[in-house]
Amino acid sequence: MSRLVNKTKRRRSRMSIREERTAYLYLIPAFLGLTFITYLPLLGVFTISFFEWKGISSPKFVGFYNYVKLFTRDHFFKDSIIVTIYFSLLAVAGSMIYSLFIAMLLNRKIPARGFFRAIFYVPYVLPATAVYIGWSWLYETNFGLFNYLLTKVGLKRVQFIANSKLVVPSLALISVWLAGNLIVIFLAGLQNVPQIYHEAAEIDGANSWQRFRHITVPCMTPIIFYNLLMSLITNMQIVVPALSLTDGGPGNSSMFMTYLMYRYAFKSNQMGYACAISFIFFIIIAIFTGILFATSKAWIFYEGGD
Amino acid sequence: MKRGEKSIFKSRKRKERIASVITFIVVVFMAFLVVFPIYWIFRTSLMSNAEIYKYPPIFIPNKFRISNYVETLKVFEFWKYFKNTMTIIVPSVIGGTMTATLCGYAFARLRFRGKKFIFSLCVGSMLLPNMVTLIPLYIMWTNGLKIVDSYLPIILPYFTGGGAFSIFLIRQFIMTIPRELDEAATIDGAGKFRILTNIIIPAIKPAMIVVALLIFIGLWNDLLQQTVYINSKEKTTIAIGLTNFRGALKADWSKTMAATCMSFAPGVIFYIIGQKYFVEGIVMTGMKN
Repeated sequence: MSRLVNKTKRRRSRMSIREERTAYLYLIPAFLGLTFITYLPLLGVFTISFFEWKGISSPKFVGFYNYVKLFTRDHFFKDSIIVTIYFSLLAVAGSMIYSLFIAMLLNRKIPARGFFRAIFYVPYVLPATAVYIGWSWLYETNFGLFNYLLTKVGLKRVQFIANSKLVVPSLALISVWLAGNLIVIFLAGLQNVPQIYHEAAEIDGANSWQRFRHITVPCMTPIIFYNLLMSLITNMQIVVPALSLTDGGPGNSSMFMTYLMYRYAFKSNQMGYACAISFIFFIIIAIFTGILFATSKAWIFYEGGD
Repeated sequence: MKRGEKSIFKSRKRKERIASVITFIVVVFMAFLVVFPIYWIFRTSLMSNAEIYKYPPIFIPNKFRISNYVETLKVFEFWKYFKNTMTIIVPSVIGGTMTATLCGYAFARLRFRGKKFIFSLCVGSMLLPNMVTLIPLYIMWTNGLKIVDSYLPIILPYFTGGGAFSIFLIRQFIMTIPRELDEAATIDGAGKFRILTNIIIPAIKPAMIVVALLIFIGLWNDLLQQTVYINSKEKTTIAIGLTNFRGALKADWSKTMAATCMSFAPGVIFYIIGQKYFVEGIVMTGMKN
């Protein structure tokens, strides 16, 4: 009896060794990716940020000089942090409100729902560069659609893209327009909210706002969290409009952090300095996602959990 | 009593009907707002510059100037750009989906030491924005490996599992498939690879399509990486070509919009063909987490 157990045990372990080998074999891509595409480069950003490195010349260790310079002398940098956070807050808030609103409408019984869902999703499949260039024509000062509409309601023409106060909100509006994927995710979430809750609340005399506030929102919190996180990470990394349209201008008013990093690294060859920006960018995103995760326990409602 | 109940029921019914009608009107209005920019861009692409500068603007052009597109194509070499863009996208999508499936399968089904640790490294990297590692990667490709003016620095990273998110998605999806199926196949003598190809892959096709789509959309929206890694004219992609075209023409709006519409077209066509997958796929990304 004991010999039999032993034998199966040994065979089991031989099988599990083989299984382990298979697993490592299949995971080779992930190992390579995690090492060379993710974690070593992250270490690289941190390390290079302590060097002065101008492309051709060999890197020179300068300690915290790059960081000191960023925070004390570089006015581009300070503006870029403000612009990036300002843009992200507008774009994220706008996208979340817009997409939840549309999803709630589409969640009601309306004719041709699938068709409308498809329509709201269309902007998401257009290539970003073409979207920004297309919209720059709508925003054009003299002949653009939006300025025509403004004059039509008796307002003055404005420069949407060429005005330092309006460029960020104008670009954020495009981000909101692109948020079709959030609508689709919200809609799927809404369809999972148990109808019984609504019916029960209605019998108890809850009005539609109360039902939204106390049933829909709590049930949707996990999906709100997911959309919030994805939308935040996407919008913080915004770079295409600066690259294809504004060059960070007018002034520094659309100088997103990613674009500033690109400029230092690839226009003026200051690799070390640009890495210092990358690293601070990383820290800022980590802080924002950290806040989201830290507060999530308090406001996310998991059905069935306690 | 009974009559009273009935009338309450009736009035509620009526209220609901009114609400539905209002909802429908709002939806139609919002859909109109969303589509109108695209229509406006398209309509501009079919008009002469003299026509688009008219006030008040013409909403429906009385003559469709297809010639704008012919003129635009003389400078904006769309087919070349499209071919180049696809040269990046197609191998990335195939490589990313395949490797994501392999890795996702290993995480979902196979037992090995260090699984928890490696998996948490994977999940951790999902929150690391690509922008952060751009410069070291650029140095690695150009200084280290001497790969310059090539698509490889954009394509090859996708062969490492198509990004942590793809691996994660595939893993989550495989976890929902009953293990009994694998076990039955094992008893029949199938190895791990046979189980993967004959049982798992047919069952997780929707998730693989999602991964393919997400990789497609990511590259479709990219401009920065293409700008950084590609220098030569022959290798120009749609995104770079369009940016350059706009920069060269400045105020020739009708041609710029013709080029913009051409760049819109492939996405819209892919979307119409694969609409079901686009929508269901995106839904899945939200639900599986």
